[in-house]
Amino acid sequence: MPGGYFGRALLVDVTGGRASSLALPEPVLRGYLGGAGLGTWLLHRLAPARVDPLAPEAPLAFVFSPLVGTPLTTSAKFAVVAKSPLTGMLNDALASSHFAISGKLTGHDAIVVRGRCARPSVLLVDGAGARLVDAADVWGLPAADAERELVARLGRGWRVAAIGPAGERGVRYATLSHDGRHAGRGGLGAVLGAKNVKAVAVHAATKVAPADPAAVLAAARDLRARSFGPATAKYRELGTLANLLTFNAINTLPTRNFTAATFAEAPRLAAEDLAEMRRVARNSCASCTIGCEHVYRAGGGKSARVEYENVFALGPLCGVSDPDAVLTASARCDELGIDTISAGGTVAWAMECAERGLLDAPWLRFGDGAALLRALDEIGRRDGLGALLAEGSRRAAAVVGRGSAGFALQVKGLELPGYEPRTLQAMALGLAVNARGADHNRSGAYEADLSGDLDRFAGGEAHVRATVETEDRAAVMDSLILCKFLRGVFTDPFAEWAGLLRTVTGWDVDATELQATARRIVLAKRMFNLREGWTPADDWLPARLLEEPLTLRSGRVASLSPATLRAMVDGYWAARGLDRDGRPTSECAVDLLLTEAVAT
Amino acid sequence: MVLAGGRSSRMGSPKSALEWYGSTLLRRTVSIVARAIAGPVVVVRAPGQELPDLPPDTEIRQDPYEGRGPLQGIAVGLAALAERADVAFICSTDLPFLHPAFIHAVLGAVGPDVDVALPVARGYPQPLAAAYRTSLAPLVESLLAADRLRPAFLFEKCRVVRLDDAALRTDPQVAALDPDLDSVVNVNEPGEYEVARARPEPAVTVECFGSAAGRRGSGPHAVRAATLARAAAAISLSLDRHVLAALNGEQITRDDHLPLTAGDTVAFISSDAGG
Repeated sequence: MPGGYFGRALLVDVTGGRASSLALPEPVLRGYLGGAGLGTWLLHRLAPARVDPLAPEAPLAFVFSPLVGTPLTTSAKFAVVAKSPLTGMLNDALASSHFAISGKLTGHDAIVVRGRCARPSVLLVDGAGARLVDAADVWGLPAADAERELVARLGRGWRVAAIGPAGERGVRYATLSHDGRHAGRGGLGAVLGAKNVKAVAVHAATKVAPADPAAVLAAARDLRARSFGPATAKYRELGTLANLLTFNAINTLPTRNFTAATFAEAPRLAAEDLAEMRRVARNSCASCTIGCEHVYRAGGGKSARVEYENVFALGPLCGVSDPDAVLTASARCDELGIDTISAGGTVAWAMECAERGLLDAPWLRFGDGAALLRALDEIGRRDGLGALLAEGSRRAAAVVGRGSAGFALQVKGLELPGYEPRTLQAMALGLAVNARGADHNRSGAYEADLSGDLDRFAGGEAHVRATVETEDRAAVMDSLILCKFLRGVFTDPFAEWAGLLRTVTGWDVDATELQATARRIVLAKRMFNLREGWTPADDWLPARLLEEPLTLRSGRVASLSPATLRAMVDGYWAARGLDRDGRPTSECAVDLLLTEAVAT
Repeated sequence: MVLAGGRSSRMGSPKSALEWYGSTLLRRTVSIVARAIAGPVVVVRAPGQELPDLPPDTEIRQDPYEGRGPLQGIAVGLAALAERADVAFICSTDLPFLHPAFIHAVLGAVGPDVDVALPVARGYPQPLAAAYRTSLAPLVESLLAADRLRPAFLFEKCRVVRLDDAALRTDPQVAALDPDLDSVVNVNEPGEYEVARARPEPAVTVECFGSAAGRRGSGPHAVRAATLARAAAAISLSLDRHVLAALNGEQITRDDHLPLTAGDTVAFISSDAGG
């Protein structure tokens, strides 16, 4: 077995409490690495075709990776992979910290949960295997409270990933959380909740050695030193919230449900001011030397971990500028266990519906922080308007009709993150074609838009190339796994990542192989979606972005025409070796290893 | 379109290569035109003329004849653009204070019944700071064939709107940012160049975000800077690979030589925006 791996996944059927082991052949490990990549392979193998994501037989995989447990900075991350109840397609979300290390050191490269418990339960995995315990006393608690309660009960060394009340109630964008970090997008919390599992608790039981411990240590020292440099300064100093004023200055901050790209009141929510007035702590994940987590004082004596995406989605996107309201809303999302981006996106859509008279909710208006909090509470409880909004903007728009789908800002059902596609046209393509839906972590094409190397207002061939390249880089980083906040320290990424992988696994892997691995992972995600009913129309953007030009602060008008997007999508499909309908051809020439023999 | 092929006889050295705040006069003019328009920028040079470094997207065309005056260069440029643009702004190299607002205003004056928008600014017609329909190319060729080499001959045969100082200043951006119509000030002799070079640099606003703010704060900082590099220097910011700039909230750049003009706002941002 290569270093860094156990070569097996634990399969747990929580219906009957039985567990088995799935051998993971070395070609599969080498071909998919771990994290999001290996999770994709597991979903291909274990998810019945066209399965209802909330059905008992739908698998939910916690997937570790070869670098977890090494001293390499930012490597303590895990992927949670399942078919999304929000998109109906493959969904992988990453979270961080000690759960990754302890979960892997149960002796497995992945833990897969299937079935449905008869009553609310907690799944425990340690050296003795897997077992279920009653969760009646933690059912209904916020994830953080449940985690705290379970750790106190189970004792030292247990690490817990839990869902909040929204996951229990099947909110389609419910999160799964560990130590305040969230596998946030796509409704993975609802998948676990549908299995009547409140939490998964893991306890390290063994060790796994890298192939070349001395080389790993040297690489870790080098990477650690580089992680203190200017490439990560933004994350250390202000965190991702530093984007808010930047994006506002460059006409890229989606505001009031994407009707504008600047928010006049953005300075009220700026990291620069919040840091001075409200910051109470700065934290790091386990094994991380960057320390990007900035904790701010919220209303009611509470505090909130703040990222750009939650402030964007609960602030400008909903027209809310009161920092107390936005930080409280962010904390409320954490308590309920819902994805802030989808929550903000869905509420912003509902605000517009209400203002247009399409929803009978006169209390719901852009800019009203109290209305935002009420909407979030109703979503978490699935009562009142929340029963509709808990379904996400795409399903809700299908119910409301009357043209509201055109301003439901989602792709494949996943609400857009805080990047304006009309002024970031490489990102527009990335959002349209990504397997997970409108997502900024699997497609970092905004990097190209913000590089100065291409015209971000006029999509074309350069934008296609940039989208493919950034998607490939993300596929590898999400599978090794390394935090993307580290990406700026790599000057020759694939070669440097191959070097790290060589020291851990002992494989003679090089940059060329890793680039092929990236293409395999991206294609495998697309193949899974095809199997689940993807159509070419799913690689597209909402009507608002294609039909409504944006007037920028300078008076310039920015627009993204359907013809421009069509040309870019076609170009992307061709670059990926797909046919004119976005389906794989023989020219893909990538062995997906889906027929690799496995033993259980 | 920028005509670079003049003889520079009074200047004594090629005007296109005159130093301008670490760059050259031609590069400044080309970059200002590029900032103002959505289409391609064409530089027309004399046969064999060497040009200084230009922005990478600049198209270069060669005038087949030397010494036949600006109408010859206009013909070359109009032919190069005829398939891709209806109207071209055409200017000479030696306009060190050319402002994008002036270009916008002149281009905006070419209505459906107009072939040429000709500024008559600061007392003189300005055929080399004017807008021309590209469909004039055959007419220009016919004038050249008849050895009628002055732009005035062209204006006799097409529909011209003349823009005097007052008309130009009706554009609010011109009125605010180029009130003295310095856009048409040209430099023909060393003394004029020295005077132009001694003028204060344009007043611009600089903002800094994220890591670029540092101890200097986010601003806004009012500075005088003729280029992006000068703006960074004015606030003691090092323009390394970790810093990018956005000009007026639009295009992202790391071009040190990017010329600035009065009223510009430069936002310096972290190159690791996003995440």
